[in-house]
Amino acid sequence: MTGFLEFVPGTSMLHRMNPAAKLGCALLISVACFCTSNLVLLLAILALDFALAASCSLTRQALGLARAVTVFSAVLAIIALLTTPTGAVIASLPWGYIGTGSLTAAVLVIVRLVACAVPLFLVMYVTQLVDLANSLVKILHVPYKYAFTLISAVHFIPVFLNDMSGIMEAQMARGVEFDGGLARKVRLMIPLCVPLLVSSVRKTNSAAIAAEIRGFHLRTRTSGFKDYPFHAADVAAIAACVALLALAVGSNFVG
Amino acid sequence: MIEFSHVSASYDNETPILDDVSFSIGDGEFVAFVGENGAGKSTTMRLANGLLKPTAGRVLIDGVPTAELRTSELARRVGFLFQNPDRQICCNTVRDELLFGFAAQNRETEAAREQVDAMAARFGLDPDAEPYLLNRGARQLLALASVIVLAPSVLLLDEPTTGLDFRECAKVMDVIADMHARGATVIMVCHDMEVVGDYAQRVIAMARGGVVDDGPTFRVLRDQETLRRAHLAPPQIVDVSLRLSRCESAGLAGSPVARANTLDDMTAAVIALATAKES
Repeated sequence: MTGFLEFVPGTSMLHRMNPAAKLGCALLISVACFCTSNLVLLLAILALDFALAASCSLTRQALGLARAVTVFSAVLAIIALLTTPTGAVIASLPWGYIGTGSLTAAVLVIVRLVACAVPLFLVMYVTQLVDLANSLVKILHVPYKYAFTLISAVHFIPVFLNDMSGIMEAQMARGVEFDGGLARKVRLMIPLCVPLLVSSVRKTNSAAIAAEIRGFHLRTRTSGFKDYPFHAADVAAIAACVALLALAVGSNFVG
Repeated sequence: MIEFSHVSASYDNETPILDDVSFSIGDGEFVAFVGENGAGKSTTMRLANGLLKPTAGRVLIDGVPTAELRTSELARRVGFLFQNPDRQICCNTVRDELLFGFAAQNRETEAAREQVDAMAARFGLDPDAEPYLLNRGARQLLALASVIVLAPSVLLLDEPTTGLDFRECAKVMDVIADMHARGATVIMVCHDMEVVGDYAQRVIAMARGGVVDDGPTFRVLRDQETLRRAHLAPPQIVDVSLRLSRCESAGLAGSPVARANTLDDMTAAVIALATAKES
């Protein structure tokens, strides 16, 4: 069993694709989500996301992520619902009304965010972080320190989640009850951010020193042993994503 | 009384960490869990204070299954010291840290404040000091102090001496021994066999998620099969006596020197041997 955003080994097409191409495709799909307000197209992109996840046996992870993003985007959906008075009136508000268009806008927000997030996170599950960093350096000429910063940030997410879980357990063992409403939970969790912050600073400081004493600053674009050539499948995938982006932009001018 | 009855446990419901473990620990015992990393010792401790619920079997604290109790409820009876003190420390001063448990359990009173100041003095900690600026040993002492100040009847200690120097280790273990002398049940995971030999009355050796041996400390630590299966090295004095007992040419096999379990036993046996030779 793997943790959040941890690489899942496999031999699927997505696993075999060039890391930079994967990242490029994910970004293009995400941009496409923001370039269209066509719910049908967004649902089609969402279906494509899950089809891609299924192709590399990551449906469970994709569903989990979709659930988490849905919860997060619910706040934005509620705001959209209350501030987009369009369509037939369903309920009146002091500052306007909730209409059928408001409902569509709320659904649109959720579908857009989920459809946008899934491919980006999927890249992390099907790509070794070191390959992602090396391909960014070799192909896109990103300075290594920035590529390393990116992968370190991603790498530390499960580490910090694990730390937070351990800190919460330590406080539960001392009698803190995390049961109850959201407000109570947030109030109890705020002091726990102190040990998390301290451990984060200690970890990043240790990681920085460990990297430096192993010659981090000597690394150049040509230091990496592995090459990341583009294959026909990578080019085809990027072309398909560019086409999807064009379709998303074009959908705004239709109907 | 803590009772494990055919307990199995897993963190992900896929990989078993403990498999059909059974034992019971009576009130006032001092028990050490020993074994290699990954044997299931820390998991056993987490089950004992309800942080982890068993996937099969039952863990009972004073006859009540932990599955029916919240960890926060168990905290009144069971104190838990984690391996990493930094996961526990969350307050701005040593005093606040020591008071944290009282506040969490709605037991903060003037008497509690007095106990906190007395505990800080006992551990040589400045009550107004910033916990994160203390050294590793002092932070471990603070974490231990914040557990025992609540006077739990059961003390679970997950590697309490890791990262401590000799003096800090002795200080920590003396406080734990004092708690035990006052009637607390002490259950400790420890890799330091010298500490185990010096303090524990009973040893439970674990390997691969199961109990390999369970018995009086020196009986377990002298058992060559147990040592092999749990990948343990005995305390130095026991190791020396085991080597002597195997050394037929020294003529010491079966002698008190070869049976010594403690430094005191060994010293007495050597003196007796020397005296006998002189006479």
